[in-house]
Amino acid sequence: MHWINWVIVGVYLVFVVGDGLRRTRGTTNIEGYFLANRSLPWWAVGLSVMATHLSAVTLIGTTGQGATDGMRFVQFYFGLPIAMVILGVTIVPFLHGAKVYTAYEFLERRFDAKTRSLTSFLFLLSRGMSCGTIIAAPAVVFSAIFGWDLTWSVALIGVPTVLYTVLGGVQAVTWADVKQMVVIVGALVAILVVLIVRMPVPLDDALRIAGATGRLQVFDFSFNLTETYTFWSGILGGTFLMLSYMGTDQSQVQRYLTAKSVDEARSSLLMSAYWKIPLQALVLLVGVLVFLFYVFQPPPLLYNPAHEQQVIAAEPAAYRALQERYASAVEARDVAALAAADARDANDATGQGAASDGSPAGGTTTSGSMTAGSMSALDVFNARDADVIAVREEALAQAERVTGESSRDVNYVIPRFVLDNLPLGFAGLFLAAVLAAAMSSIAAELNSLSTATVVDFYKRWAKPEASDAHYLRVSKISTAIWGLLACFVATYAATLGSLIEVVNRFGSFFYGSILGVFMLAMIGRARALGAFVGLLCGMAAVAAVSFGAPQISFLWHNVIGAVTVVAVGLVLSAGVRSKDAAAS
Amino acid sequence: MPTSRFRATLVRVLAIQVVTLLLLWLVQLRYTP
Repeated sequence: MHWINWVIVGVYLVFVVGDGLRRTRGTTNIEGYFLANRSLPWWAVGLSVMATHLSAVTLIGTTGQGATDGMRFVQFYFGLPIAMVILGVTIVPFLHGAKVYTAYEFLERRFDAKTRSLTSFLFLLSRGMSCGTIIAAPAVVFSAIFGWDLTWSVALIGVPTVLYTVLGGVQAVTWADVKQMVVIVGALVAILVVLIVRMPVPLDDALRIAGATGRLQVFDFSFNLTETYTFWSGILGGTFLMLSYMGTDQSQVQRYLTAKSVDEARSSLLMSAYWKIPLQALVLLVGVLVFLFYVFQPPPLLYNPAHEQQVIAAEPAAYRALQERYASAVEARDVAALAAADARDANDATGQGAASDGSPAGGTTTSGSMTAGSMSALDVFNARDADVIAVREEALAQAERVTGESSRDVNYVIPRFVLDNLPLGFAGLFLAAVLAAAMSSIAAELNSLSTATVVDFYKRWAKPEASDAHYLRVSKISTAIWGLLACFVATYAATLGSLIEVVNRFGSFFYGSILGVFMLAMIGRARALGAFVGLLCGMAAVAAVSFGAPQISFLWHNVIGAVTVVAVGLVLSAGVRSKDAAAS
Repeated sequence: MPTSRFRATLVRVLAIQVVTLLLLWLVQLRYTP
């Protein structure tokens, strides 16, 4: 990468860390360190919520998903605006009004200490591990692209983040998030503009080619429990998932607990309600345009350069043969794409349908409508595209065989495109955006992990009476320890792979169940025993569905967990109430 | 949040979501054969 790009990355890092250190001033108590003395404006909190939600996986993986699979992933977020409005009138006023530090602290006030400790412990377990994977995902890509040792990639992301999070607390985290959101959106828009300007055919024709491959198919209205991305799983499952994540996960709850007032906290959540779906659509559209870019420019056979080198070293002749087949398949697809674009232009000019070879195909048309001619040209393009995909799948299988690793090639599509094709400076901007996305998520996680550790365990069980200075010191040490643990997990992510998978799967068992406990907390008739046993039953129900019917999409697990907890909790609470009534 | 303000917010959020989804649907209609 050109040195100017590195300078841009360096300036970004120095700016973010420097500003974080500047914010350490004035943080003299634990409320300032964890909640910024509940003084932040709604727009800063709103941007922080969005930045925390948007990790490096979104920038690298989701754009890659847009390139390979298209726009349908956006359905995943359809429930988010509904969830934000529901949270605005339910959990947000409860938590903000209760003046708590953690969401779980509220559960002790409403139920009992063991419900608080169990939910907080489950949060620490799953988030502690996931924090490591948030660092690992971009670090692995950096290592493969730049040929670095994984430890250095982890250090590049982890060290500055831990530094400003430990020293500056939530003030540093939130204000860094604001700048990081600007960098992320700026980079996405810049890449989008470059892609549109460099498209060799008019954008309308290019999008028609993407549409022919199904990449602009956003909606799937089928009610299919086994399909993750459908309209209904997005609306129903997505609402429950977002209610759980935004309403009960400390990494999100802590963002809006820093707001000045309940109204400012609500407004910060509504920012996500307005902008999350358009932002996600933008991320996926960038991916679709990168696919189109590679329709007209020869794409790499394997996007992961580390895997490519290993395959070339191990099986040079076989790989060369594949490359030759790939080159001719890509060339044929290129010709078909241009023919499809020409066919449409001819239709628009004459008002007549024309086949890809220029012969009339009959049927009058109006500009913008599909005709038999452009349809058949698109069919030819699809057939050529299938040839390209077939050769690539052979190469991916070869890479998996040679390296013994899952290829995850989709994560390398955008980084390779940015480094190989964008004008000077854009690669630096993109790299800074990936760092920003990773750092904003990690910083919020570390800050919230430390809050739960200190407030829900250290202060609650180990040392209830101590000075603010003592708790502040312990909070900083706790943040540093979580940061080191996250870096350790990230460095050994490959060897810890199956463990991380187990923890992630375990985490998915209780997300919806914890939401169920919070729903019970808002029902006056619910009692502590009902909440605790309901939580255990909810987790057991999700585990049973997960193992017994693995084909059911994970988005429905949250619905099952939450409903089970509320049902069991209310039945048990009714029993407890009647027992109490009989005793009195 | 008073009921009237909540209703107004809900309507605003839903309206923006409907417009966003409508745009995405129009894109799908126009470009997907």
